[in-house]
Amino acid sequence: MSQLDKKAGLLRRTSSSKKTLKEKVVLMYDEIFSKEDPAKNAPRFWDELFLMKVNLEYLELKLESVDEEVQHSQANINALFHYCIQALGEEHPIKVVNALQTLCALFRGVHQKNRSASGFDIINLLMGFDKAEQRMKDLMERLDSLLCGEGSESLKSLCLKLMLCLVTVTDNISQNTILEYVMINSIFEAILRILSDVSSKHLHGYDPVVLLALLVNYRKYESVNPYIVKLSIVDDEPTLDGMGMVIQQALTEYNRQFRDKQEETQGGFFSTLTSMVGSMFIADADEKLSVQTNEAILLALYEAVHLNRNFITVLAQVRSNIANSSTMLETILSLCRVVMNNPELPLDPNLQTTNLLITFLKYASILMQDTKDEHRLNSARLCLIILTCIAEDQYANAFLHDDNINFRVNLHKMVNLMVEFIVTHMMKDFPMDLYLRCVQIIHKLLCYQKKCRIRLHYTWRELWSALINLVKFLLSNETTLLVKHNIFHLALLVVNLFNMFITYGDTFLPSSNSYDELYYEIVRMHQVFDNLYCMVLRVSTNTGQWKEAASKVTYALVNIRAIINHFNPKIESYTALNHISQLSEEQVLEVVRSNYDTLTLKLQDGLDQFERYSEQPKEAAFFKELVRSISLNVRKNVSLNTMSQDVLLKEFSTIS
Amino acid sequence: MEDTELEISPAPSDQNSPSLSISSSSSPSVSLPSTPSSSCGSTQPVAPLLGVINEGVCELSLVIDAEVAQRACHEVLQKVKLQQVGSDDVTDLHEQTDPVVPGGPSGPIAAEEEAKPEGLVPGTVKSTRRRQKHNPSKQSWLLRLFESKLFDVAMAISYLHNSKEPGVQAYIGNRLFSFSHEEVDFYLPQLLNMYIHMDEDVGDAIKPYVVHRCRQSISFSLQCAWLLGAYSSDMHISTQRHSRGTKLRKLILSDELKPVGARARREALTLTPFCPALPHSTATTAASGSLVPDHGLSPSKRTHQRSKSDATVSISLSSNLKRTASNPKVESSQDEDSSSSSDSLEFETGPPVRLAPQREFIKSLMGIGKRLATLPTKEQKTQRLISELSLLNHKLPGRVWLPTAAFDHHVVRVPHTQAVVLNSKDKAPYLIYVEVLECENFETSSVPIRIPENRIRSTRSVENLPDCGMTAEQRAGSFSVVPNYDNDDEAWSVDDIGELQVELPELHASSCDNISQFSVDSITSLESKEPIFIAAGDIRRRLSEQLAQAPTTFRRDPEDPSAVALKEPWEEKVRRIREASPYGHLPHWRLLSVIVKCGDDLRQELLASQVLQQLQSIWQQERVPLWIRPYKILVLSSDSGMIEPVVNAVSLHQVKKQSQLSLLDYFLQEHGATTSENFLSAQRNFVQSCAGYSLICYLLQVKDRHNGNILLDSEGHIIHIDFGFILSSSPKNLGFETSAFKLTAEFVDVMGGPDGDMFNYYKMLMLQGLIAARKHMDRVLQIVEIMQQGTQLPCFHGSSTMRQLKERFHMSLTEEQLQLLIHQLVDGSMRSLTTKLYDGFQYLTNGIM
Repeated sequence: MSQLDKKAGLLRRTSSSKKTLKEKVVLMYDEIFSKEDPAKNAPRFWDELFLMKVNLEYLELKLESVDEEVQHSQANINALFHYCIQALGEEHPIKVVNALQTLCALFRGVHQKNRSASGFDIINLLMGFDKAEQRMKDLMERLDSLLCGEGSESLKSLCLKLMLCLVTVTDNISQNTILEYVMINSIFEAILRILSDVSSKHLHGYDPVVLLALLVNYRKYESVNPYIVKLSIVDDEPTLDGMGMVIQQALTEYNRQFRDKQEETQGGFFSTLTSMVGSMFIADADEKLSVQTNEAILLALYEAVHLNRNFITVLAQVRSNIANSSTMLETILSLCRVVMNNPELPLDPNLQTTNLLITFLKYASILMQDTKDEHRLNSARLCLIILTCIAEDQYANAFLHDDNINFRVNLHKMVNLMVEFIVTHMMKDFPMDLYLRCVQIIHKLLCYQKKCRIRLHYTWRELWSALINLVKFLLSNETTLLVKHNIFHLALLVVNLFNMFITYGDTFLPSSNSYDELYYEIVRMHQVFDNLYCMVLRVSTNTGQWKEAASKVTYALVNIRAIINHFNPKIESYTALNHISQLSEEQVLEVVRSNYDTLTLKLQDGLDQFERYSEQPKEAAFFKELVRSISLNVRKNVSLNTMSQDVLLKEFSTIS
Repeated sequence: MEDTELEISPAPSDQNSPSLSISSSSSPSVSLPSTPSSSCGSTQPVAPLLGVINEGVCELSLVIDAEVAQRACHEVLQKVKLQQVGSDDVTDLHEQTDPVVPGGPSGPIAAEEEAKPEGLVPGTVKSTRRRQKHNPSKQSWLLRLFESKLFDVAMAISYLHNSKEPGVQAYIGNRLFSFSHEEVDFYLPQLLNMYIHMDEDVGDAIKPYVVHRCRQSISFSLQCAWLLGAYSSDMHISTQRHSRGTKLRKLILSDELKPVGARARREALTLTPFCPALPHSTATTAASGSLVPDHGLSPSKRTHQRSKSDATVSISLSSNLKRTASNPKVESSQDEDSSSSSDSLEFETGPPVRLAPQREFIKSLMGIGKRLATLPTKEQKTQRLISELSLLNHKLPGRVWLPTAAFDHHVVRVPHTQAVVLNSKDKAPYLIYVEVLECENFETSSVPIRIPENRIRSTRSVENLPDCGMTAEQRAGSFSVVPNYDNDDEAWSVDDIGELQVELPELHASSCDNISQFSVDSITSLESKEPIFIAAGDIRRRLSEQLAQAPTTFRRDPEDPSAVALKEPWEEKVRRIREASPYGHLPHWRLLSVIVKCGDDLRQELLASQVLQQLQSIWQQERVPLWIRPYKILVLSSDSGMIEPVVNAVSLHQVKKQSQLSLLDYFLQEHGATTSENFLSAQRNFVQSCAGYSLICYLLQVKDRHNGNILLDSEGHIIHIDFGFILSSSPKNLGFETSAFKLTAEFVDVMGGPDGDMFNYYKMLMLQGLIAARKHMDRVLQIVEIMQQGTQLPCFHGSSTMRQLKERFHMSLTEEQLQLLIHQLVDGSMRSLTTKLYDGFQYLTNGIM
């Protein structure tokens, strides 16, 4: 009764003053942005403030509109910031929630307003220069204890959102000066803890991983980033596992979506129509979005693979989805109260028998199907960079090549993926960069196999014919391609792959037949190599930009030409001798086998040497752009998520 | 006091009184310090006795202990006499001849038995005893037998089983204490089966010993609990006896049976948390003198034998207790102790910490087996198994061990990628390899510290990233830009190449004439621009040579993943796993393997294994060179258990399928030509093992002898496995396999044909083996007979199992007749059509060649 009365009274007063109806919290915000200390008249002002439901939009708007009065309202904003941090220590979860959201709004509002302002000004406006260090230390400590504490998972989730919000307020993460405090007061351990905790990692989704990936990229090249240092030495298995699991989930989800969509399109006419219509509006947007969101996930995967040597084991480890799916089921059950009486589910063979690497390879192959879109191209590039790192790491190789692991499909898949890529991307808009990476990955794998004498049971013929086709393509599009790319470099790499097989085939080919087949393939396609030789000879004799690059190819072709010149006459004479017009493959192989001994090859230097991947000068620009794009995307999505978080917390408030 | 009460009370009501009187009368004689405990425990009749005897064991050497026990036995027997005659006439206690007491062997016969060193067979004793029912002077002779040196565990078990006298049973119950643990452990299934299924007197006689041993040892406790559970399973739930077995099981599993010291210590702990080791160690040093307080504080260096280490057990156990206790003061007060045991990851469980880790470990292994059984294909099973084991790895190391192993150890890691699912139609038995660290005593030695899987590299990363510590403080003051840190190349790549190239020559030292060596050289000396020429023919030749050199491994077959894993020589596997293991560098590192069976009843296997062990020891004793290989069986319940795999052995089925050769040709391929030493020794091994197993198959009527159940090891021995169908049971009752044992033409070929010397040697061995077995028939029969009690096992189906088994020893035949019998058996088996039929049947139904 009394409450009703109060409400009525309130209404009457506002209506009489003919003002628009305002929430109490809004009024309080207004007070903050006035000149006076709001607590002067109402000593419990700050206490009350955090009991109110936050009005994010209004607060942000208010912050944006602050301009000239910055000077006098700064004290109040500082105070608000201070009390927010204080409120984080409160026992009442509602206050903590509100404080977190207020902080979110503060960070965002201030940055939106002062886009051009220097980081120092922003810090001054929010916390005041003299107190900034202490304030941020407090904030980080509070967040740390919230994240590590026993508290509610949604609180932790909100903490992560706040961090994501803070990390992404600027387009260029390295210009976000506040992060310097985040570097000093590291919350790395807290993030890891969340990742290692089986029960919580499913609830927070990708946030902790994305946050980590972003923090690692803060002033990566300019200063010592403690997150890089720490990430590189993590060796706690559950944590790394947890990280791998989150990444795998994200990629699996994308793969699943893709498969579903494919199945849909394979359906009847009607379903194709509806899906077309549907995809015009929803699916397409969805899909684009998820490629973009996955950029962050891929970045996280890259950083983990690149920085942390222990992560490699996680990559190749057989993931036990049983445990995950069951715990996931539990959480789903507890959250949605959906009864899933499908006992078959955790035993779905597709679900269990996978590991992160396989999932990643699947993802990469889907991604590479279409690289026209810039995001997809970037993602594909990142995928190839990750694969390069994997192919270079001797431990990863040891895992991939381990003969005693009972199912060893990874390596086949990896080579298959490369072959698939080579075959499918010979187009006008030639992705030279991707091709180079792709061929280099194969080269690195071969180098490892040669070193360790591992014989992969792979039908290398597929690779050979793909490579020959690539050369063919380069030749026929020479003029158009030369405008943009140095095709001789790629040609050199391809020819050297052949040289690897020719000179070191004894160390890694699976059977003696495959060595014969190599010769057969070269002899069969000798036209292509002849043409290539003519072309590079022509270019290298002319003076020009490509003279040197082309002459390298000329030199590299020496053994292939020797083979062609050796066997072609032999085959011709065999044909003439036996009066056969067309030799069968078996007959050619016979000729090859019987004429090895008279063939002398030249040993070329450095075939098994390769340039090692280094992020620093070469890829820095790419990563900078990538991080920028991820920041924008995360910022956009975090706001949405905070709103849904709001809904969740409403429920939360009624419980407590 | 109690003695007098005893004499007055009527005989049937005081089943426990004899033991009570032992404790009260024996303790003063040894002058133990703990006499009060025997009087305070009077609420539960068994406890005081245990208290006394337990401490007797810890404090006195085994010799004295035996004396105590014997003294006690002495008195029991006298008490028995007393009871028999007590009602009408009180005879002199020390009178040696008592006319009324039945069950004692007569003088002349006992003397005869003593004169004959090994002829002392329980069966004959039993019969003589029956004969002696009417003979007056005997009691002392039985006692003399019991006290003689010849009285061994086998006899004790036999008397325990056959005697109806509570006094004799109680005596033997006490005598058990004087035997060595290993001897009694062999008969543990028999003891427990008697405890469950025989009358109360036997149970009461056995229980003190079992309880005592449970207090001493965790593994014994668990072993008992598992066996009790397994052997109780055939009973009706309603029966009262049933509850006796399960009651004891519950008592053990509730972990009430801690060492007495530990219980005392727990109290001490709560009182004086800051010097917890003191009260206990003074108590024990007072008694034994062998324990210095230092020992309690540093559990890592420990040198006493297991029997004496009770005190140290209690110390490390109490540190377990302390961890579960919520008192933080206690926790912080003894960091030394806690670091030894709580550093490692033990399974987090409820209060009974003593047994929990191991039970949890076994439970998860069983759980995996159950889940595997639901998967349709072998490939899926294998993959699932591997992923499940990788999860299990996260919980290791802990205070867990493989009960099938012969030495004390802690399990540190399960190399999950090595595990394989074994061939089975509808169940999913699987084989895992387990890395363990040998230790002196798994109960007291500290659990090894976890080493992360990928530790190999973390050391280097730490070196390379020195600034992680400074960042926070040093950068706090200013925003100055620190010079570029990201020196990628240096941090990651350079020494990788170095490592690789250093490693390689070692790995492939055998093939150093290859071109890769060449190229490494040429890289270093780039100045010499002279082109090096190589012949294509050489490359091709090297390729085919190297491929041919590759060892004869089995092809990987997704349908039969175990074949490859089992073919790999054990030493090689150990070396390989050791190299890859983060624990491999530790000197106590060992590799074990175990087959986990889920859904199979291993009780018959256990029985068969006991018989095999018994026969093996008989043959050893009689110096007959028959070769058999009993393997350890661990019964966990009536439908699960573990089996110790036979290393370096593959089944005949796998041999034939993979090699596509006849057995003789396979021998030739593996061991060389028929005249080579290798082949000859392999052939001899084959013959000796064939003879051994032929006899066993005949005696035990082992059926289901298809080639999947017969292994061939790398030395040529055959080893029979899977004793699921023995004695009265046979697969599907199809009536196949009517021959005595499996002897195919292929086997005979390996022995050099039916006319060869080796084949005669085979028959001769069988004859010798049968004669030796016959001589000690009772030792074999006894094992089987006791297990027949209260069981529903199919091998005991029907009433004539024991009689038929006995008949197969052919006691009545002369040696010449026996020789004839062997000839007949061998001939019959060789010509047996059913064997061939059965192999064909197996091929059709199970795909076993």
